[in-house]
Amino acid sequence: MALISIPLPAHRSIQFNFSSLNGTIRLLSNRRVQLALMILVPILLLTVFRPFLPIPGPLETNLRAMTKPPSFVHLFGTDRMGRDILSRTLAGVQISMFVGFAVALLSLTVGLVMGTLAGFFGGVIDRVMMTITDIFLAFPSLLLAIGLVSVMGTGMLPVVLAISLSDVPRFIRLQRSLVLSLRSRAYIDAARTVKASQMWLMTRHIVPNTLAPLLVAASIAAANAILVEAGLSFLGLGIMPPAPSLGNLIRDGQTYLEQAWWISTLPGAVILLIAISLHFLSDGIRQVLDPRSRK
Amino acid sequence: MNELRPIRSALLDVRNLHTHFLTDKGTVKAVNGVSFQINQGERVAIVGESGSGKSAMAMSLLRLLAYPGKVVSGEINLEGRDLNRLSERQLNEVRGRLVGTIFQDPMSSLDPVMRISNQMIPPIMRHLGLSREKARAEAISWLDRVGIPDAARRIESYPFEMSGGMRQRVMIAMALSCRPRLVIADEPTTALDVTIQAQIVELLKELTAETGAAMIFITHDLGLVARFAHKVGVMYAGKLVEFGPVKDIFARPRHPYTQSLLDTIPPVDQLERRRLAQIPGFPPDMKLPVTGCAFKDRCAGAHRRCFEVAPELEPRGHGHAAACWLPEGLGAGRQMERALIPPMEPAADAGEDRVVVEINNLHKHFTTRSSLPWRKPPTVRAVNGISLRIRKGETLGIVGESGCGKSTVARLLLGLDPATSGDIFIDGMAQMVFQDPSSSFNPKMTLFNIIQEPLVVTGWGTKAERETRVRELLGQVGLDESYMHRYPSQLSGGQRQRIAIARALALKPSVVVADEPTSALDVSVRAQIINLLVDLKQKLRVSFVFISHDLLTVSYISDKIAVMYLGEVVEYGPADEVFNNPAHPYTQALISAVPIPDPEAEEARIQKPLSGELPSPLNLPVGCSFASRCPKATDYCRTHKMVLKPYSKTRETACHYAS
Repeated sequence: MALISIPLPAHRSIQFNFSSLNGTIRLLSNRRVQLALMILVPILLLTVFRPFLPIPGPLETNLRAMTKPPSFVHLFGTDRMGRDILSRTLAGVQISMFVGFAVALLSLTVGLVMGTLAGFFGGVIDRVMMTITDIFLAFPSLLLAIGLVSVMGTGMLPVVLAISLSDVPRFIRLQRSLVLSLRSRAYIDAARTVKASQMWLMTRHIVPNTLAPLLVAASIAAANAILVEAGLSFLGLGIMPPAPSLGNLIRDGQTYLEQAWWISTLPGAVILLIAISLHFLSDGIRQVLDPRSRK
Repeated sequence: MNELRPIRSALLDVRNLHTHFLTDKGTVKAVNGVSFQINQGERVAIVGESGSGKSAMAMSLLRLLAYPGKVVSGEINLEGRDLNRLSERQLNEVRGRLVGTIFQDPMSSLDPVMRISNQMIPPIMRHLGLSREKARAEAISWLDRVGIPDAARRIESYPFEMSGGMRQRVMIAMALSCRPRLVIADEPTTALDVTIQAQIVELLKELTAETGAAMIFITHDLGLVARFAHKVGVMYAGKLVEFGPVKDIFARPRHPYTQSLLDTIPPVDQLERRRLAQIPGFPPDMKLPVTGCAFKDRCAGAHRRCFEVAPELEPRGHGHAAACWLPEGLGAGRQMERALIPPMEPAADAGEDRVVVEINNLHKHFTTRSSLPWRKPPTVRAVNGISLRIRKGETLGIVGESGCGKSTVARLLLGLDPATSGDIFIDGMAQMVFQDPSSSFNPKMTLFNIIQEPLVVTGWGTKAERETRVRELLGQVGLDESYMHRYPSQLSGGQRQRIAIARALALKPSVVVADEPTSALDVSVRAQIINLLVDLKQKLRVSFVFISHDLLTVSYISDKIAVMYLGEVVEYGPADEVFNNPAHPYTQALISAVPIPDPEAEEARIQKPLSGELPSPLNLPVGCSFASRCPKATDYCRTHKMVLKPYSKTRETACHYAS
């Protein structure tokens, strides 16, 4: 049986616009966004201000405090070289966040450009691009990353590139489908009747209307990149020790899991928190942008 | 109130029904104390603009409301049982068995993955207690009665194998198959073409008369009401403001809202062209409490009492009731006011006779992809040889059923699609006004940027000059300059259509193509837009191409009419002549299908709805394309094609037997 929906008076339909202040306020008043920010903001602040905190540096060893459990002096405990786990975790977060942000930005940009071209022009460009993305999508992303790292060597740049390589095809696909649905809108036709250039159509009418869903996808990609980076580092393919990435920390502690649980688990918990809050953030953005998800 | 209560008990007696939608932003009081009665076999039309609560009211009767809608209070007595007190399980016995429902969109109200048989037979088995075989036979006989050809075979079809009209017939068969006492039809013909609409309405009329079922018919089309209903209920802001026998309501409406609504319809006789009456303002926000009468802000006759106390529905004799403090509503004053509206200036023949648009033998064929690579792909002949001329300042109306190619002609005129063959000459520029005002603007652009876009793209003037021009355009379409920095989503449908018109006029085009510019609008707003277009046409001497399936509106606004059928123009001539004295059988059928908002006139008309549906444009017939549906068709028509030939001095028609 069919149901009827909420009768919204036409002249009071919901307005959302990201560029306006209104949109920002609406975003900030979303519960999920608030929850995400409540986790992310303190972590970020601690990470940024870590050098000024009364804790040892991430590489500072202390032979008198080796493998100490969490205490007031070392909130997260220390590892077998007496390095402060909290300090190392925060330094790791810094790297992870950077990787997450870089991957999201890179995939978003490349996906936006290529997807727009493929969706807008169609034809040969579209077919070639879709074939390439299909090939990339057929590989498991971790495998792809391992392959690339083994070619380029370890370090920050290869990690970012490796993760982006598997994200970019998804972004191209997403952007292409968004463009296809927008391409036949009446306002595109209206602009075409005044002989607007294709550049004008893409930059004024199409891209601004795809940014919101892309932003949602980007925040999920960031969360995913942080997890993959940890995975790669755990496998020894990511950031090289002694630089403390979250994956390195977990690997370090793995051997001593039974004697010193805190070395692995506490950085692991931080990864979990960051990933969850990024997902909350994307969910919140989606809710704010999609009027149908609101009741 | 005694007068409203008939001696025998009514089939359905609704008392003080309240339905609320509990949204985050407040409670929307969609139905706010509605009471009415329906006797057996009676057809009651509920009319009102969108948001008036008419659908919410009808759906409340069977508690078919989506979250967060809720029937808050009230009695719904169906044959003495209060439906509002039944449990969901008990109500399920009522739904389908005692009350059948027909929904607006036949495309989405049938389950796309179930065969018709699987959707029809189980309810019949359950409600009538028949065996599967008998239920199947019953279902087939119903499909047959609603005019599904070859019903025994078609019952195994999936919905996607049927046209919109066919699906709506299936919906009707489903709704009636359990012999309900009451049928609720929520805009059952809105999504259909006029000729199909006429068929469906006739069918509903016959079948409900046959089975003795009463009917609640929700619509916004006053013409349909006149054709169909025994009684009318007019809803405004969640309340019934007027209720009574159809003839009485049309002849002597008592509520100012009903009166204004009736005045907004273009008149049928085209002899005197006057401006349409328009209702100012908007309906109230249903989230806010209303003090006094909900219509007071838009009512010319509002006085102090209207602002303080809301009038109740009071009997006015002959089973007629209205909710207004004034016994006659706007009454005599309304007649005065209408007479003062200046008659339109006659279409300026004295002006330049310059042809601004010339279309010669235009063809547009779409090649679909062939299912088998070695087969020749089938071609859709959307536009099949059209020649038209539009003079400066002239309005050409193009009418026809969906699929006749009228929108394709618009796209070709605007240069959005290339023509397959033929030429289009435009002296100047063509601009457009779209049908759906909700998707025709970029939601991320302010209205200022939307209107100035054509100017920016063509490099017109400086920034300051453009701003002046935008202000000027806003003034021309009757919008305040303060709208400039708003976004399209902050406007109502009518306001958006004004913006669309302003934008279309920005580059001073010689012709504006308006594809169904009023079909998404409510009646009162529609009149405002039509008046605006008429004004602009006279003031700016712009030519318009007005494409619509709404014949009354087209004939009101147009100087010339072109009737299209399957990609061809079958009749062309001055609007009033074509409308009042159609020559082509298709035009005749189309016009007789249009419901006239006058119950007396409707009764006098002979209803002979056009049978059949549009043939597929994939394989057009050899002879006259209308032959398959034409009552006058002979073998000669089926083998010989007729081209558009002069019929009288000013008219052309494509029929062998027209003269």
